[in-house]
Amino acid sequence: MKPLKSVASVIKSNEKKIQNTIQSPSSNVEKHKIIYSKKAESEFFVDNSALAGFSGERILYMAVRELIENALDSCETFSILPSIKISLKTFDQTNDLWMLSCEDNGTGITSDKLPVAVCSFLTSAKYMEKQQRGLFGVGLKMVAAFSTKDTDFPIKIWSKSIEEADEYYFELRTDIGTNKPIVLKKVINRSEAIIKSNSGFKINVILRARLVPITKNKIYDYVTQTSIVNPYSHITFETDDGIFTFDRRTSIMPAPAMEILPHPSDMDLQTLKKAISKSAGQKITLSKILCTSFQKLSYEKAKEIISLAQLDSNLKNSATELSEHDLIKIVNICKKTKFQNPNTDHLSPIGQEILTIGMMSEYTIVSSKNIVEPLPSINNNDNNIANSQSKKIDNETDNENIKDNNNNTTSKSNFSVKILQPVLTAYTSRIGIINNRPTIIETGLAYGGDISSFKLYRFANKIPLLYDEGSDVAREVVSEVEINKMGITKKQAKEQFSTNKDSKRERIIEVLPIHIFFHICSTKIPYKTAGKESIASEGELKSYMKSCLSELYRKLSIQIRKELKIKEAENKMKLYKHYLPFIVEAITESLGIKNSKLNESFSLLIERHLTKKSNVNDVEEDNIVKHDKPSESKPNLSSLSQQDPKTEKKEKSNILSKSPKNNNNNNRQIDVPKTTTNANQDIHKSKFSKTFSDLNNKKKERSNTIHKKNIGLKKYPKNNNNNNSSEKKLENIPTKQLMINKIDDKQKIRSTDIQPTLDSYQNQRRVNKGKIR
Amino acid sequence: MSSAEKKTEVIHTIKKIMKKISEDVIIQRQMPILNIPKVGYDNTVWSDEKRMLTIGDKKIEVSPDSVKKIPTFAQYLVMANAIKKLLDEDMESTIRGMYYATLSNVGDEKNKQKFWNNQDNSDDAIKAVELLTGIPREVFSVTSKPKGMISGPIKLRVGGDIIDCNLGSRSTSQLIPTNIGDVQIEDVKADFVMVVEKDTVLNNIRKSGFIQKYNAILMTGSGEPDRATRMMVKILNESWKRPVVVFADADPWGLGIALRYKIGSESLSYDSDRLVTPDAQVLGMMFSDIYEYNIPEVARLTANDEDINRANDMKKKPWMKNKKWQKELNLFLNKKEKCELDAFFKHGFKYLAETYLPKKLREVGII
Repeated sequence: MKPLKSVASVIKSNEKKIQNTIQSPSSNVEKHKIIYSKKAESEFFVDNSALAGFSGERILYMAVRELIENALDSCETFSILPSIKISLKTFDQTNDLWMLSCEDNGTGITSDKLPVAVCSFLTSAKYMEKQQRGLFGVGLKMVAAFSTKDTDFPIKIWSKSIEEADEYYFELRTDIGTNKPIVLKKVINRSEAIIKSNSGFKINVILRARLVPITKNKIYDYVTQTSIVNPYSHITFETDDGIFTFDRRTSIMPAPAMEILPHPSDMDLQTLKKAISKSAGQKITLSKILCTSFQKLSYEKAKEIISLAQLDSNLKNSATELSEHDLIKIVNICKKTKFQNPNTDHLSPIGQEILTIGMMSEYTIVSSKNIVEPLPSINNNDNNIANSQSKKIDNETDNENIKDNNNNTTSKSNFSVKILQPVLTAYTSRIGIINNRPTIIETGLAYGGDISSFKLYRFANKIPLLYDEGSDVAREVVSEVEINKMGITKKQAKEQFSTNKDSKRERIIEVLPIHIFFHICSTKIPYKTAGKESIASEGELKSYMKSCLSELYRKLSIQIRKELKIKEAENKMKLYKHYLPFIVEAITESLGIKNSKLNESFSLLIERHLTKKSNVNDVEEDNIVKHDKPSESKPNLSSLSQQDPKTEKKEKSNILSKSPKNNNNNNRQIDVPKTTTNANQDIHKSKFSKTFSDLNNKKKERSNTIHKKNIGLKKYPKNNNNNNSSEKKLENIPTKQLMINKIDDKQKIRSTDIQPTLDSYQNQRRVNKGKIR
Repeated sequence: MSSAEKKTEVIHTIKKIMKKISEDVIIQRQMPILNIPKVGYDNTVWSDEKRMLTIGDKKIEVSPDSVKKIPTFAQYLVMANAIKKLLDEDMESTIRGMYYATLSNVGDEKNKQKFWNNQDNSDDAIKAVELLTGIPREVFSVTSKPKGMISGPIKLRVGGDIIDCNLGSRSTSQLIPTNIGDVQIEDVKADFVMVVEKDTVLNNIRKSGFIQKYNAILMTGSGEPDRATRMMVKILNESWKRPVVVFADADPWGLGIALRYKIGSESLSYDSDRLVTPDAQVLGMMFSDIYEYNIPEVARLTANDEDINRANDMKKKPWMKNKKWQKELNLFLNKKEKCELDAFFKHGFKYLAETYLPKKLREVGII
């Protein structure tokens, strides 16, 4: 039995409870309060990593991508020939830990900025209006953040900035809650410098991820495709399967993209304000501000616009005092005004020369199941086509480099780098306006030689696109362009190229041994999805691509038709060769004579028959004269006359010398003139050279036209190829025939006097959904 | 000519051909050409005067000049040589045997092919040799299995021995030897010759004593008649002056077979003179017989599209232009029913021999 006190205490406690519950209604009000808090950028991106593409099984792929793209960007900006060493190896298999490291010889990051640059989201040196691989300021930070959240290893960085003399070593982690870096260690490496070149950046990070074979293949593909479109970079890729080297094939680099001023058609309140605030201290008129802050906007035009907005164009100091209402008027006017198309200085296409060099020797990683040493086979075709030697000797030296680290798997496939050399490559390009942005579309084609099957490569801003090929516009283009532009019919293509002749493939293109390359560069690439792996058919894009591809097919047609002819001739020769013994044997056995003379005569006859080029009549007359035959131009019947078919039939043989149906060349030696082996001919230099010469003319016209132009509704002309290329671009694109298979030894590093203007204002409307940094 | 002489003639002809070709090559230095008449549907001409199908004028040129014809040229020569060898060794072979004798591999390691794609090619080559030499293939001992059967009061001398086809004629028939050249007809005591399409029908008729009762020779080609059968029919009709009647099933296919005897065939149109009996009478089975003789409906077959097409084609042919045939074909196209001779068994096993056939023969005055 419990004492009364305890009962009382129970009652009291109950009362307290009641009190508490009574109190809670008042706190209900507080419970319904909505609490707003600020989330750090890092936390947001880590939680929504899919936005950056870091989802599940793609983590390692994206990480490798980010690092390589950063490396290439940092080298290209200053026209340094890139040397990149990237390595992805298993670190701790039981815990799914991988070690990823990437070293480059780019510009590096200065020691004061480095921790923030590596760890803090949305900080970037790349927020500007020009084509780059990385644009968001997110990619590298994702790698760092993932490493921090999944492991307890720090991120190790060695950096030697181009602006500083020393190499610094950092150990970092990211504070995800605050978007700030945690510097664990910062050391100046004086004595044992890792980075050998003038400047560079090396990062070593541990990531937790699962690598499925598909993703591994994609990573390998990514590296190989990067090497194709950046053949001036030297890439070493080290994995558990071995070390793969992608040599530098040329020292020519494309001109780096230059930052350009924004175009006034994209003007809005924010940009206008920024432009005004930049020139705050200077005493210039509003018109002057406008024409210096925007491209394709002249002083006169600016004045016009301002006057249309009913503002005083001669305001000097009070430009910053303009209210938003006034400014919006300017914006409105600009939206309705026709401006000239923006120029393409901010784009950096690959260029004909470089893409051709890349296509001429495609480095690919192949796996061979048996560990037999591949024999070097140099194909010296009878045709003497210059470039069809397959350099498998290189493969042997690569084999020396391969170290098989893990020999414990049962069926180990031996990986090696194989160089594919096509017989013919072709290139063409178009410039167009897509999404109101100037876009350069480049198309390349490689045929024959070591290339054995069809493959479609897609690139956007020099980044390979590997997923979602089926929904990409490139796929549609390939399906829609007819291959009879190559000069052969589907049937001929099937007969000539397909190994399995009975397969009913809808897409006949897949039978041909060609590789097609599409590259689109723009500051606003029309991606289909947030995944950014496939491109949508936006505006005129598809028709540009189709016209490019048709042109390339036409160039290929010469080569293909030549090959067809050769094959036909070969087949004929073969037929003769095979059947002649039977014929001779039958005759000689029946008659009981020796076959030598018959053989000779027949062979001679056949040779002459095949090589007959000259007039048949001449030959006939020769024969007739030689053998005392009565010279008749008509065929005469033999001595046996034709009898009544009722009785025995006698055979009659006409002495008919027919003109050979093919006036082909001698089949034994087919001299392919070397000038047409590679149709790397003057391709669309016409577009550029036209513009180059036009440019001068247009400049004169422009001053006239602006006065004439009404500020009214006009459209950008559709295939506007003429107005968009700048002079500097033209200098970089060679107009003569390309060097075939030669790596230019001269140091053709692009001039380093082009200083990019680091305009640091963020123009968020221009930021593409191209790449996430 | 005796067979031995014929054989030497064949050898001689083949040699001549070969020599011509080799001369063309060595001396004239020109590509040899073989001119062969085209045998086929589009080169078959109906000859009114002869009342048979004959070969037209189209020719094919086979020469190593044209790339497509090189294999063909080689094939023809190889076959000719093989035939000559066959004759030299005095042996016999079938067309399949010739196929094997000449089969070999063509080409090198990369693309091996057979010399003959299939047996049809070798058959074509044999035919070409026939056309080139003008000698039928049984003379050069390329024969086939004997198919035709004969039974009745006729004596044949085959290879020195006499065969009396009347002996044992109640129970069996004699095979017609394929090399008709070796066969001589010694004696024919029959009044007429009756040819039927199927040997089952023949057995039935023979068993009933038809031969003895009506003094007939019974023959069958067992389906498509081979050359020996056709030649025998012709010889009996023209040399021995016996009327010939043909009985086949009541369908366009049977009618076609019956017409082989009467007007010839497209694939052997070059040899029609030896094989075709224009005076043969095709008496049955007519389409009207189905209804006249009350073949029960259950025994009638429905005509399919192929039959309809054939009947339509036949209507247009010049040899079917008389009223009787047109009426029959129209009847068939109307009713779309066909029937076999065997259907008569429903009326009794002896109905055919005792009722139907005699009635038909009486109608045309043969008995």
